[in-house]
This record gives sequence, structure tokens and C-alpha cells, in this order.
Amino acid sequence: MRNTDRTFSPRRSATRTFARGDSAEGRPRGVSLRLRRWIVTLVMMAAAVFWLLPVIWVVINSVKLTPDIIRLPPEWIPWPITAEHYWQVLFSAYRSARIGRAFVNSGIVAVGSVALVMLTSAMAAYPLARMRFPGRNLIFALLVGSLMVPNVVTLVPQYMLVQRLGWLSTFQGLIVPEAATVLAFGVFLLRQFFLGIPTELEDAARIDGANAWQIFSRVILPLSHPAFAALAIFAFRSAWNDFLWPLIAVNKASMFTLPVALAFLRGAYMNESYGPIMAGAVLSALPLLIVFLFANRRIVEGVQLSGLKG
Amino acid sequence: MSLRTGRRRNGRRRVSPTPYLFLLPALVLFLVFRVYPLVNGLWLSFTSARLGRTQHTFVGLSNYERLLSDDRFLLSLVNTAYYTAASTLPILALPLLLAVALNREVPLKALLRGAFFFPFTLSVVTVGLTWLWLLDPLVGPFNYYLKRIGLPVGSLLAEPGSAMWGIVLTSVWWVTGYYLVIYLAGLQEIPRHLYEAAAIDGANALRSFWSITVPLLRPVFLFVFVIHIIGSFQIFGQVFIMTQGGPGDATRTVVQHLYETAFQNLFAFGSASAMAWVLFAVILVFSAIQFRILRGHAEY
Repeated sequence: MRNTDRTFSPRRSATRTFARGDSAEGRPRGVSLRLRRWIVTLVMMAAAVFWLLPVIWVVINSVKLTPDIIRLPPEWIPWPITAEHYWQVLFSAYRSARIGRAFVNSGIVAVGSVALVMLTSAMAAYPLARMRFPGRNLIFALLVGSLMVPNVVTLVPQYMLVQRLGWLSTFQGLIVPEAATVLAFGVFLLRQFFLGIPTELEDAARIDGANAWQIFSRVILPLSHPAFAALAIFAFRSAWNDFLWPLIAVNKASMFTLPVALAFLRGAYMNESYGPIMAGAVLSALPLLIVFLFANRRIVEGVQLSGLKG
Repeated sequence: MSLRTGRRRNGRRRVSPTPYLFLLPALVLFLVFRVYPLVNGLWLSFTSARLGRTQHTFVGLSNYERLLSDDRFLLSLVNTAYYTAASTLPILALPLLLAVALNREVPLKALLRGAFFFPFTLSVVTVGLTWLWLLDPLVGPFNYYLKRIGLPVGSLLAEPGSAMWGIVLTSVWWVTGYYLVIYLAGLQEIPRHLYEAAAIDGANALRSFWSITVPLLRPVFLFVFVIHIIGSFQIFGQVFIMTQGGPGDATRTVVQHLYETAFQNLFAFGSASAMAWVLFAVILVFSAIQFRILRGHAEY
């Protein structure tokens, strides 16, 4: 890419190479190249900081004293700082929306739905990648086709189903539908990954007398860590951040997930102070931030895997 | 690919139950929570279903007929299309611009990519609340700084003419990093020697962008388009948090309208299901058009 912004005619660069030799030319170009790359980095760094200003603003204001929060001109250095907003949203008893409880709820829902998605989609992806049986193509086509169905189309009937099961305002009523929405993507992702595993290992295990389940659990699964990590992060993010489904499937404050509790926090606090809302926002972003810091590459790989084949 | 179906020793061709046993948990989950609601939703759209009503009477097309004369629904459809159209160009162009800038061996590349991606890890509620405050006409920094550099600013979200653009701005900020990562993956697939060849032929950066990058990214554009259309026709969270469909009905979108119809005001499940299917049809038509326009293979 970077070669394109300088134009060399073939003849000129050829004569140069002849005249000076490769090594003589390589040195000065290398320096300017490195300089130019750092300039790109600096420009992009400035753009990235600008891009993250809203996030920085939220974090700064979550630790300001209440009267400092709405002061203009905006103060970018919070001083004195306080943890009162965090304390308030986590433990305060007399507001309807409590973040502490919602945090635990979201954790249970996200972990439960990740576990369910991983188990079901790994088991389904294995025969779809490795066995031949009647109906295989149909099943796979249905799963992939369902990726094109917007979630909102099943919203109302799914609500009626969960209501009939008596699952409204329960963990299973949140976990199972969340898992079901990610399932098809999980099968697709894992099948792609399994297809890339060489069959020799399985053949060897089969000769040693291993059955299908043993091959799956002892050969395939241990080799699939990267795909599992990508899927786990994807499913976690999707369940942790989902808003519309928990908004309608939960009608008890004690079962609110974080996004719903945050939305209600807004109603409870907006008129007097943004502090608790901003503290709640920071708290709700923490788990994914931590995952993100440690698994930046995995997240990106997951997104790219999902993108490479629509 | 291993053939293990006919593994029985007696030589009879039997279908082994093994693959189906593996598939069973996923199929149960899929059939009960995806396929059944999909089919049932279509059925509901032809009935008078309501919250708490146990018997659903078949009413034919009357839910759909009523939608055609429901001005608020039609307006929400127009608003949703407006939002989709308004957000398409920024969501197509901005991440591409950033991806092209980052698609080289620059120092700290992963960190930079991560910085732009980060907003996408936030929930729509967090993003909505953040921008609601940033755009606040009285205490928000956005208006304050715009005023300081001498731009005439009203309240973006309070004016019917501009409220949707506040939503667009919020969405673009939220999802740019996601598309950036998709574009980066696509850019990495383009062989370097094409650019080198173009440079030797005297093409400048802009020329090789238009003649190499853009045509070879066609499959990626198609993916981004389709994902964007499916997502933006279902926009709900930003609207629900930031404007509740207002001012007036200026930002009322289909899913906001559906949510109110089904779960807030009327509890009319039949009519809400009809809305969902109309939306589904619109999304399908748009996706099909995009496949038509952008299909075609990238040949390296």
C-alpha cells in the first residue's frame, strides 16, 4: 500500500539498483519509512483519543462531586474525586433500580448462555463437519438461513412461549432464548473451524478403537480452543449487552439485567444527577473491558471469522 | 471427510443414529426457540391475539389492512428507512477510511484498532445514555464546544428535524469499530503485489484505492451492507433511551412502535406480529437488491 504514493518508473528504479546496489538504497529509505509509519500512528492515535472522548468523559464524571458534574465549561480533570456514586448504585437500598443485583443477574445470564451455546453448538458442529447422513445439508442450510431472520420477527411469539412455560422473570427465561439466538452462528463458526482440523488424528484414534464421542471430546475439542474463545466472547457480549429481550421478559426489579437496570436508573436519577448513571455505565462496561484487554486479538478474530463468510 | 454411516459389520446399509444424537440438543433448542416462534409469529399475524386472551380468532388479513391505514406505523416505517439511509454512507465510508489508514505495518496497530473497536463492546443503553448527556443542550459538552467555535446550535435531539441525526451520530460511534475490523480483514486478503504492480505502472494512492481496493472489497461491502440493513431496520435501543420516539413522532421507528403496541399500550400481539412480518419483508427485499447489485466474484 505505501509503495503506491511514490511513483517509480521501472526503468529508473532499475538503473538505480544497478548504479548503487540494493544495500546502499535500502538504508535511507528504511529510515524515512519508519518515520512515516510513526506519523501515521501519531495521527491515528489522536483520532483514537478523539473517538474515545465520550468514554473518557463518562469515566471522569463518574468520580466527580455532584455539583461539579454539570459545571460549564466542562472540567476534564476531576478534582476532588469521590466514590459516592459507585457506592450509591451498588448498595443504596431506597432506589428501585440497583446495579449490584443487576450485575450478578447479568453475570448468571451471560455465563449460562455461553455454556449452553458452547455445548449445543459444538456437539452440532461436529457431525455437520465430519459425518455424512441424510438431512445434513438441510439442517445446515436451515441454521445458516436463520441468521438472516431479524430477531424482532420472533420477539412476540417468543414472549408468548416463555410466558406459557412460566419462565417470565426467571434465569432460564433469559438464558435459553439468548442462547438460541446465538446458536446458529456458533454452529457455523465451529463447523468452519472443525473442517480445518486434519482428519489423520481422528483416523488414528478410530484405529485405536475410540468411538465418536471419544473422538469428539478427546481429539476435536482440545484442538479447538481458539474457536471456542472467539465464540465464548461473542456469546458473552451478546447476552451481557442485550436489551430488548430482558426488557420485555422481566417484570421484577430483582431480576433486571444491567442494561435494563441502567435504563431504569436513568428514570430514577436523571433529574438530579448524572453521577450514579455514569457510575452504573462504567460498572456495566467493566467485564467486557477486562476480557477485551486480555483477548483483544481473539475478539477481532471472532468478528473477522464471522465476517469472512456471511 | 470420513464416511462412517455404513460402518455396521453385517453390511446392511443402515443410518447410524450417532450424528443425530450429537445434533439433538441444538436441534431442540433451535426448533423450539427459533423455528416455532417464527412460524407461530406468522400465524399470530393473522389472528386477534392479545395479552391474556387464550383463544386467538383467525381474522385473515385485517391486521395487515389496518397497518396500511395506521399513519403512525407508516410514519415509523418512513423514519426507519430515513435512519437507514442516513446512516449508510457514514457507516460504509468512515470505517473504511480508518481501515485503509491502519492497513499497514504501523506501530501500535493492535492498540489503535482496539481503541476504535471499544465502543462496540458497550451495551446500547450505556451508549445511549452517554450520548444523551453529551448532546444535552444545557449541560452537555457537545453543544458547549460547538457554541465556543461559533457554530449555531440548537438542541439536536429536541428538534424534530435533527433528532434522527442525533441517533445516527450515536449509532455511527457505536458500530464503526466493528465494521473497521471487518474491513481490515478484507483488506488483508488483497494481495500486496497488485498495489506494487499498480505503483510500477504509475498509479498514485487514490487511483489504486479506486481501481484495486474498492473493486476487490466487493464481497466485504456486500457483507457490511446486509448486516447494516438488517441491524438498522431493527433500531430500537438508541431511540428508546434517547428520545422515546419523539419529539412528536420524529424518531419513532418500527421496533419502537412494535414494542409499544405489544408490550406497553395495547398488548396487541396479532397486530405487532403483522408489523414484524412487514419489517421482515422490507429487510428481505433490501437484502435481495443488494445481493443483485453487489454479487460477483472477486478475482485476484
